[in-house]
Amino acid sequence: MARLVESTITFPYRRSLGPVVGAFMTALTEMRILGTRSGDAVLVPPMEWDPRTGAELGNDLVEVGPSGTVESWTWVPNPSAQHPLAQPFAFAFIRLDGATTPLLHAVDAGSPNAMSVGARVAPRWRGERVGAITDIVCFVLGESAEIEGTDAGPASEPVTRMDYEASITYRNPVPVSADRVIEASQEHRLLGQKCPVCERVYAGGRGYCPIDAVELGEGHEVDLSDVGTITNFSIVTPVQYPGQTETEPFVRAFVLLDGSDVILSYQPVIELPATDVRVGQRVVAVWASPAEDSDEGGAMGGTYGRLIGWMPNGEPDIDDPDLVNRIF
Amino acid sequence: MSSIPCAVVGVGQTHHKSRRLDVSFGGLVREAVFRALDDAEMTLEDIDAVVLGKAPDLFEGVMKPELYLSDALGAVGKPMFRVHTAGSVGGTTAIVAASHVQAGKHRTVLAVAFEKQSEGNAQFALGSGKGASLGAGGAFAPFIRSYIHRSGAPEHIGWKVAVKDRLNALKNPYAHLQIADISIEKVRASPMMWDPIRFLESCPSSDGACAVVLTDEAGGLAAADAGRPPAWLLGASSRSEPPSFPGRDPVRPAAAMVCAADVYAQAGITNPREQIDMAELYVPFSWHEAIWLEAFGIAEEGDGWRMIDDGSTELGGSFPVNCSGGVLSSNPIGASGLLRFAEAANQVRGAAGEHQVDGAKVALAMAYGANSQYFSTWAVGAEQRPFG
Repeated sequence: MARLVESTITFPYRRSLGPVVGAFMTALTEMRILGTRSGDAVLVPPMEWDPRTGAELGNDLVEVGPSGTVESWTWVPNPSAQHPLAQPFAFAFIRLDGATTPLLHAVDAGSPNAMSVGARVAPRWRGERVGAITDIVCFVLGESAEIEGTDAGPASEPVTRMDYEASITYRNPVPVSADRVIEASQEHRLLGQKCPVCERVYAGGRGYCPIDAVELGEGHEVDLSDVGTITNFSIVTPVQYPGQTETEPFVRAFVLLDGSDVILSYQPVIELPATDVRVGQRVVAVWASPAEDSDEGGAMGGTYGRLIGWMPNGEPDIDDPDLVNRIF
Repeated sequence: MSSIPCAVVGVGQTHHKSRRLDVSFGGLVREAVFRALDDAEMTLEDIDAVVLGKAPDLFEGVMKPELYLSDALGAVGKPMFRVHTAGSVGGTTAIVAASHVQAGKHRTVLAVAFEKQSEGNAQFALGSGKGASLGAGGAFAPFIRSYIHRSGAPEHIGWKVAVKDRLNALKNPYAHLQIADISIEKVRASPMMWDPIRFLESCPSSDGACAVVLTDEAGGLAAADAGRPPAWLLGASSRSEPPSFPGRDPVRPAAAMVCAADVYAQAGITNPREQIDMAELYVPFSWHEAIWLEAFGIAEEGDGWRMIDDGSTELGGSFPVNCSGGVLSSNPIGASGLLRFAEAANQVRGAAGEHQVDGAKVALAMAYGANSQYFSTWAVGAEQRPFG
């Protein structure tokens, strides 16, 4: 059973809503719910196009509800952090008065015994509304709309965008061959694997030869030098984004390991400023102390355990005009 | 291998911008789709299948956008396909759509590709959601350093491409960057982003979409009879190679050369430089024009930069490249490849407007993606079989 490494990717996206959903969201801040006419139908939420044919709709918006009738429902006994309510609740298709299609939303009914097809519900509005479907906290049983907290009033400007924080957590299996590389790195050894067919050597615990589609394992391991030569490099001017860790231009170097054809691509460098990096420079591996171990890595390839980068070893540069062409 | 002839009879695109805050996802793609349908004098009802391409879902954070957009694209009840081959995806989308026609499976197919970069952040997405993202420039800069070294090209070559494509963009009302005072001096003075790539030698981040209508021989002939010349597909190919292995050369990737050879063999092209009238090449960083001219056999190895230096690849030159302004002027990533393919089609249809190459009869389009490892290419012609 392979070891699993968990990692989470989160990003604050910003949606452009367009004219129809934008109008719908703006109306929500006014505690009004809009639909759109499509022939004899009234679609809620409103759409820019006919969902059956793709034909353009006339942007003929009409107010519906705010009360409606449950058409179908299911009970959520154990809500997660991503559900709209912390307590058990119903997800329901609610046909708002005046609409011909149902809206999916939560109903805070207390118990599944209180829910039924045909039940009448009304919105519980959020006091602080921003122009999102969550401006309706949920629906409640009965005909009377409610406000949760103090009513902060409608948005001062039309709502055109919506913040959406997406988050996904992965659990990636770490191949045994990758774990062996991590183990070896604790002794400051850099492991590779040699393909028995083409004899190419791959650094790290890739576990296969991409040329011959041959599985590589313990029997194919070779020790690699932890001294090498920079063949090429990238100086990256960091662009700022949520999660960016860099503020100054940083180097990623390509290191050709001594006594082999193995190149480690896009490697961090240490004690080597961006202004000083050059092709032919001699470098030696820098290993982290055990205290710096982390659970990260192992999943996206290119991990070498405690290898944290490369620093100049003081030897004279190698002068070989072909070095710069050796990238992979 | 025999296949049913395939014709491009409709092309549409959005006005590409940094931020199209005025439209939703669906609104954006529909702008391109209805322009393509209008161009083809068709409606959504005439479409038998839809193929959608875009870059990784992490760019906008909408998982499976092909499902989300199926009603916006009029695809309810019809076959709907999603294509993803990183930056080359727009080209691959066109090729997948064409293959449905060529196989006789669907008569008329709509190819759509888009990106709405303003909703997320490309550097974040390219860095797999971690800090210290290389970005495309950081990943490709070493390849460009290698090309410059081995070809001995002077540094002004990159600046010339950057100026040429932005001048071409001024003739394309859909192009994102409209830099009226673009000049060598301006490019040279722009900040160094990923040595040796300067800011103005780099593509922008764009919101935009492109759509192409492909149909069979009867449909192509009918369009021609109606006075709307089609672009006939002469050859199409997609190829890939592993991202890294000892000996891999990202300046002359084997997949690129095999992809080009496949297209030329299908089209009967034996001398690309002479038989092709213009090309739309995927050039997100200026030096890639020289790199792809060589890898695609249009210039001899080491000579691609000379075609740039002597003006051959300018709009009035002997082998114009990226008359639309190219990726350097508009980069809605997922759509960028399809834009190349669509622009090449428009050139042989005589429909390229102000950036039309006089008398263009055969045009080449290519897109590449990821670590220079995915390639998609097609050749289109004003005639069905110009080379027998």
